[in-house]
Amino acid sequence: MSLLDHPARLRDHVAAFRAAHPRKDVRSQFGESVGALLDRRPDAVAVTADLLHATGLAGLRDRHADRLINVGIAEQNLTGVAAGLAACGKLPVVCGYAAFLTLRAVEQAKVDCAYNEFKVILAGLASGLSYGVGGPTHQTFEDVAIMRAIPNTIVVAPSDPVELDHALQAAAEHPAATPVYLRLGRGPEHVLDRPGAPFAIGRAARLAEGRDVCIVAHGAMVLEALLAADLLRAEGIAAEVLNMHTVKPIDRGAILAAAAQVRAMVVVEEHSTVGGLGSAVLEVLEGGHAFPVVRIGIEDAYPPIGPTPELREALGLSGPRIAGRIRGLLTKAAG
Amino acid sequence: MRQQPVPGNGFAPLGLDDLREMARVNRLDVAAMFMAAGNGHFGSCYSCTEIVTALYFAVMRVDAASPDWPDRDRFVLGKGHAAPTLYSALIRRGFIPESWIPDFETRVGARLATHPSRRSQPGVDSSQGALGHGLSNACGMALAGRLDGRDYRVYAVLGDGELHEGSVWEAAAFAPKHRLDNLVAVVDRNGLCVDGRTDEVLPLEPLADRWRSFGWDVVETDGHDLATLVPILDVPRFDGSGRPRVVIARTVKGRGVSFMEDVRSWHADAISPAQYEALRVELREVLR
Repeated sequence: MSLLDHPARLRDHVAAFRAAHPRKDVRSQFGESVGALLDRRPDAVAVTADLLHATGLAGLRDRHADRLINVGIAEQNLTGVAAGLAACGKLPVVCGYAAFLTLRAVEQAKVDCAYNEFKVILAGLASGLSYGVGGPTHQTFEDVAIMRAIPNTIVVAPSDPVELDHALQAAAEHPAATPVYLRLGRGPEHVLDRPGAPFAIGRAARLAEGRDVCIVAHGAMVLEALLAADLLRAEGIAAEVLNMHTVKPIDRGAILAAAAQVRAMVVVEEHSTVGGLGSAVLEVLEGGHAFPVVRIGIEDAYPPIGPTPELREALGLSGPRIAGRIRGLLTKAAG
Repeated sequence: MRQQPVPGNGFAPLGLDDLREMARVNRLDVAAMFMAAGNGHFGSCYSCTEIVTALYFAVMRVDAASPDWPDRDRFVLGKGHAAPTLYSALIRRGFIPESWIPDFETRVGARLATHPSRRSQPGVDSSQGALGHGLSNACGMALAGRLDGRDYRVYAVLGDGELHEGSVWEAAAFAPKHRLDNLVAVVDRNGLCVDGRTDEVLPLEPLADRWRSFGWDVVETDGHDLATLVPILDVPRFDGSGRPRVVIARTVKGRGVSFMEDVRSWHADAISPAQYEALRVELREVLR
C-alpha cells in the first residue's frame, strides 16, 4: 500500500520531513535583516505603521532610533512618506502588513512609488494564510495579483526566513528605480535545505529534478511542494520543483524549459487562483502547451478562519494534498 | 521682507511689480495651454497663481541648470489638476521650454498634460493628480532633509477640497510629531470643489483651529496678495521651532477673469475662441 494511502505512516513521514527542516520566526528574521540593512546602508530608513513589535523591529530602537520612523496606524501616509524619502535619495523600507500595504495604500504604491520611479521596498508581513486566525481582514490572498498588475513593480515572495534575508538585501541592491514588494509570512516557518545557486531576483531556483510533473511555488508553499515531490517519488512519479520566488518579472526561461520536458505543470500558491502565480505561469504558456496546467490556491471565496497549518491542509495547500492531486492528475492523463 | 539670494542662472528674487507681472504672464500661459486643449481647470489654476508665483520667483531656492540639485527647495502640487500654473512657473524659470505650451494635451506623448508628471517635466519633484498624496510626499522629503542635515525647505500646495481626503490628516498629524519646521503647506482656500461650495459638500471649518489642534503654526492670509504671501512663505531655514507652517490662503477660484471668478462650472470647462479673446483682453490689465 502506498504511503499516500496509509494515514498513520503518512503522518509519521510528514512529521519527520518537517522536523528535518527547523523553523525560524519570520518576524525575528525580518528584524535582524532590516537591522543588518540599516547597519550596512546609511541611506536606508525603516518606516512602519505601529508595527515595530509585530514586524520584529522593536529591538532596533536603541541602535537606529533616527532611522526607524513610526507613522502610527496610517498606511496611506506610511507609503506616501516613504516615497518622499526616496525622492530625496533615501532607501525606504516600508514595514507593514501585506493586507494594508497592498489594499488600503495601493494608490500610494502605484502613483507615489511605481509611477514616480522611486526605489521603495514594500515589505508586507502576515501575507497569505500566515495569520489564518485573523480571518479575511488580515489574510491576504489578493496582493500578488494587485502588485503585479501595477507597471514598474517587482514582486518577490521568499520561500523561507533565510531567503527573506537574501531577498531584502537583493532588493536594496537592485538597480531598478522600482518599488519591490516583498511578500512575507508572520510566524515560525521551516527553513529549506539551500542548494548552491545564490538568490537572484527574477531567477527561479530548481530545487528538485523530475520529468513527470513540474511543481511551481512561492513562499511557504515551496516547502510543501518539496514534501509533495518527496511523497510522489515513492509513487514512482518524478517531480521537478521550481521555487518561483520572483513572481514579477517571472523567470520565463525556467517555465519554458520545464514545459519542454514534463507531462503536467502544477502551480501552488497561498493566494487567490485569480491573478497570482498560477495566472502568471499561464501567461507565459499562452503560446500553447500540450499538457495539463493545474492551479492550486485559494479559490475565489473567503477562506475559513483557523490556525495556519490546519487551514493550509483544509484548503489543499499541504504536501500530502498536493501530492494526491498530482497523482490523480497523472493517472487521469495516462488513462 | 527678508530678501535672500535665489541661486540659479544668476536669478534674483523678483520685486513686487515684477511678481505681479509674472502672475499675469502665468495666467496667460495657462490660458494658452487650455486653449490648445479646448478646455481646462481654469478656476483651480487661477486661484493659486500668486501662491506659485511667489514661491518660484521670490522664495524657493531652485536652479534650472541643475533640476536635481540636492539642496534645492522642494515643491509638491497636491492639487495636481492645477499643473499648468506650475508649468508656467517652470517655463519662466527656464526648467522647460516655452515651445511646449501649444502642445498641451494635444497628442499622445505630449510633455504637458492635466497633472504634473516627474517622468515628463524636469523640475517636478513628485507626480501628483490623485488627491491626498502630496502632503505625505512632502513630509517624507522634509524628513529626509532633516536626516541629512540639509537646509532645504519643502512646499506643498493643497486644494481645500483635497482636505476632504483622510490621508491629508494622517500627514497633518505626522509633521508636527516629527518637528518638520522645514515644511510649509499652503491651503488654496478657494471655497469651491467640483460639486459646489467645499463646506457644503463636506464642512472644513473651523479650518484654522483644526490645523492648530494638530500642532501647526497657522497663518491666514489673502492668497492673491503677493506682498504678504512672500514673507509668510519665506520661513527661516532651521528655525528650530519644530512646528511646520500651514498658510491658509483665502483665494477666489478663477481669479483674474471676471466671468470665471467664483463660478463653480469653471473648475474645469471648455473655452470658446470668443471667451479666450475676452480673457486675454482682461489679462492685459495688471491685476491689482
